[in-house]
Amino acid sequence: MNLDPKWVPMKWPCGPLEWARRNKTKGVGAELKETLEAWAQPAALDLLKGTPVNCLVVEWAEGAPEDSAQQQALKPLLEAGRRLGISFVGKVAAGEGVATVVASARAAGLAAVMLAEPSGPSFDLPVISQFPRDKVAWKSATQIFSSMDNEWPGVKLDTMQGDTAIAGPTGVPWVNSNAWFSLLSDELARGKTRWLDFDPPGESSVAHPANYALAVADSQAYGSRWIISLDDHLRTALLKANPQATAVWSKTCETVAFFESHREWEQFQSQGILAVISDFLGDNGSLGGEVLNLLNRRQVQFRVMERSKALATPTPGLKAILWLDKDAPAADQLGKLLAFVRQGGLVIAAAYWGPSGVTPTNKDPSLDYKIYNIGQGQIAVSEEGFQDPYQVAMDAHLLVSSRNDFVRLYNPEATNCHCSFDPVHKRRLVQILNYSSSAASFVTLWVNIRARSARLWSPRARDSHSIPGLPAAPGTDFNLPTIPVNCALEVEGLNL
Amino acid sequence: MMTSLCSRRKFLGAMGATAGVWLARPSMFLARPAPAGRVAVAMCPDYGPQVVTTMAAMFDQLGGLEGLVRGKTVAIKLNLTGGPFDRLGYIPAGMTHWVHPEVVGATVHLLGQAGAHRIRLLESPWSTAEPLEEFMLKANWEPRDFLSAAPRVEFENTNYLGSGKKYSRFMVPGGGLMFKGYDLNHSYEDCDVFVSLAKLKEHVTAGVTLTMKNCFGMTPCTIYGDGSPEDEPGRVPMGGRGPFHTGNRLPSKSAPPLVDRSGSKEEGYRVPRVVADLVAARPVHLGIIDGIHTMTKCEGPWVPGCHHVNPGLLIAGRNCVSTDAVGMALMGFDPMADRGTPPFETRDSTLRLAEQLGVGTRDLRQIEVVGTPISKGRFDFRRA
Repeated sequence: MNLDPKWVPMKWPCGPLEWARRNKTKGVGAELKETLEAWAQPAALDLLKGTPVNCLVVEWAEGAPEDSAQQQALKPLLEAGRRLGISFVGKVAAGEGVATVVASARAAGLAAVMLAEPSGPSFDLPVISQFPRDKVAWKSATQIFSSMDNEWPGVKLDTMQGDTAIAGPTGVPWVNSNAWFSLLSDELARGKTRWLDFDPPGESSVAHPANYALAVADSQAYGSRWIISLDDHLRTALLKANPQATAVWSKTCETVAFFESHREWEQFQSQGILAVISDFLGDNGSLGGEVLNLLNRRQVQFRVMERSKALATPTPGLKAILWLDKDAPAADQLGKLLAFVRQGGLVIAAAYWGPSGVTPTNKDPSLDYKIYNIGQGQIAVSEEGFQDPYQVAMDAHLLVSSRNDFVRLYNPEATNCHCSFDPVHKRRLVQILNYSSSAASFVTLWVNIRARSARLWSPRARDSHSIPGLPAAPGTDFNLPTIPVNCALEVEGLNL
Repeated sequence: MMTSLCSRRKFLGAMGATAGVWLARPSMFLARPAPAGRVAVAMCPDYGPQVVTTMAAMFDQLGGLEGLVRGKTVAIKLNLTGGPFDRLGYIPAGMTHWVHPEVVGATVHLLGQAGAHRIRLLESPWSTAEPLEEFMLKANWEPRDFLSAAPRVEFENTNYLGSGKKYSRFMVPGGGLMFKGYDLNHSYEDCDVFVSLAKLKEHVTAGVTLTMKNCFGMTPCTIYGDGSPEDEPGRVPMGGRGPFHTGNRLPSKSAPPLVDRSGSKEEGYRVPRVVADLVAARPVHLGIIDGIHTMTKCEGPWVPGCHHVNPGLLIAGRNCVSTDAVGMALMGFDPMADRGTPPFETRDSTLRLAEQLGVGTRDLRQIEVVGTPISKGRFDFRRA
């Protein structure tokens, strides 16, 4: 059996191991104990009927005394699940005896194990490697890999720490999103399937802690999959067929089904006017990650490029390059970068490595950059280097200029969007996500081309419908209907 | 096209002399009657090519632009309140709460045609030091349209130091109502002619947004912003103008001090006084109001309950108080109204305060209205 990229994963916390683990930290009340026991029963799988969920992640072994009891307790669930076509992935903690544990998982009929140790002996059961988000071994990551320490997406409410504002000075809502990490992963682990591991917040630090649909959309719109994880209260309420809980679950599944019905979008290429180039290793990785996060929050349309592979192929539509690393480009890349500049492109860098004898200018007092005019383009060099990711992202946004935007959102509130492109069929897709707990209304999507209409897709509607493009000067406005969580526009009649 | 009762030369000469006295001899102005100005009103049902021709006729009615701007540097304070992505419903900002780009373009074109040597477009965009062109681009405006409308057109974001070496200090003649003076971006000093290009709309705090209230946005938030440093101006603007609105804190200490010791934290008291101070300290030579398409009830879409309207009006005048008085009358308000009477239900009248400072008269009996009579152009904002 191989890892199946079509798996739709969900955490299925249950059994003695889960109970023991929780007991160690905060204690388990009678109701939760009942829930953990009930979810180990085959009847609990009724919840999945008619949903796209087809892969359950269960605790299998963590070197605890309860491991054996856990594996015994799961047997009926595994058997019932297999009959329903559900695959199981067992989480196995690192440690001695992993090979034995993996063998037990294989014997029990698990489809794969999820291991925290990326390197180790090979097993006769497929492995999903799991990493902390800042320590992903991109090259050795398995075909499906998982990252931990991700954010629960949504608007962050606690934007003040004492007297210090942690919201952006522009008043833009501070949005938590894993989008940047998905875009980074897409480049550094191309062709591999990413499972984002994050749980609902225990104590609300986001506007709508129960917005599971957004957790799905923020992952899948950017090509990742969220390992669906329900909070204990919701799982208990679902057991009791609480109508509110059922509605939350239905909405979550509706959003998952929406993306499942548009799997082709995962093959579309991210569109960007700015390429962010780095090796994303060590300090470069820390800076790069935060810059990507902030660029995304500023709604800059960017593409991630790993340094060794960057510019190997033509990059149509690219207007600027942010060369994040302190290191100067290698000779062959330098040639490509300078060619890009000479043809009118902009390169933003922390140090100057262009041709000698060019005298820099700085005509914009709001930017501490030296501008080197070379051919038709420019190299903009930060006078202080790249120290503060916030400043780097803000400056890059200004230097690239809104003149080059592919898309913009008006009345965006807490919405953001992701542009991708199908080079085969020449389709442009704009996915719009609403990170607020309130539905977004009166949002206008502007695109930089003339387009008569667009197909609007939303999780609520089974079919798309056409909405008219209104001529703007320049470009086209699309007035969007109310957006509860997400929607997508496929712009038609393009002259790309 | 002149329909004036006095000669153009006499009219412009009087205005120039008056402005000079205000700046040079502040103690004298309070003893003088507030100057009156002629105000031109025109019906212009929609944006389009007719905006240029209509405005050209209005400027002729005012005595022509040439004598005012030929060979001069002209600064235009635009009215681009709020963020570039804010819309009232789906309606672009220029149709509701921003002066429309075609009115800006027409103004620039006509100033250029009248011989202006240099034209600077100014605004202090919300909480940012980005170039004004970038701010415009975000709103889907095309700054190149303005560059091509006249020779030597420039942009400056006046919400911070900008391209200047230091802030310019404008002391309020007579000592000021709220502050003794104001530190502004150099562009408000480095000009021979100052134009306020505003939108015809109400304002939650000030009652009306017209040519005078538009000047509130001259003030840099590096000094007068919620996040400005305590002692010296900040490098970039942070937040709105809380120090003016609510007095929640003082501006940076580098700026001229507060003179109003009433301690009032009421916005409806403070903001009109700041505005009156500003137009006394930095006289407006030409006020233009875009009332073709606009919105009622408030100054921007962030205030609930407002809606788009189409009064189809353009207003221009050489005295900002008189121009605003005519604007108020066209909106269905009495320009002599004060606190307690619409649109000043809970606020003081900026017009009255500016009149007291000697900036101009709000008394319609003393204002010559040319072009469309007020009775014919009136569009009642409270009944719209």
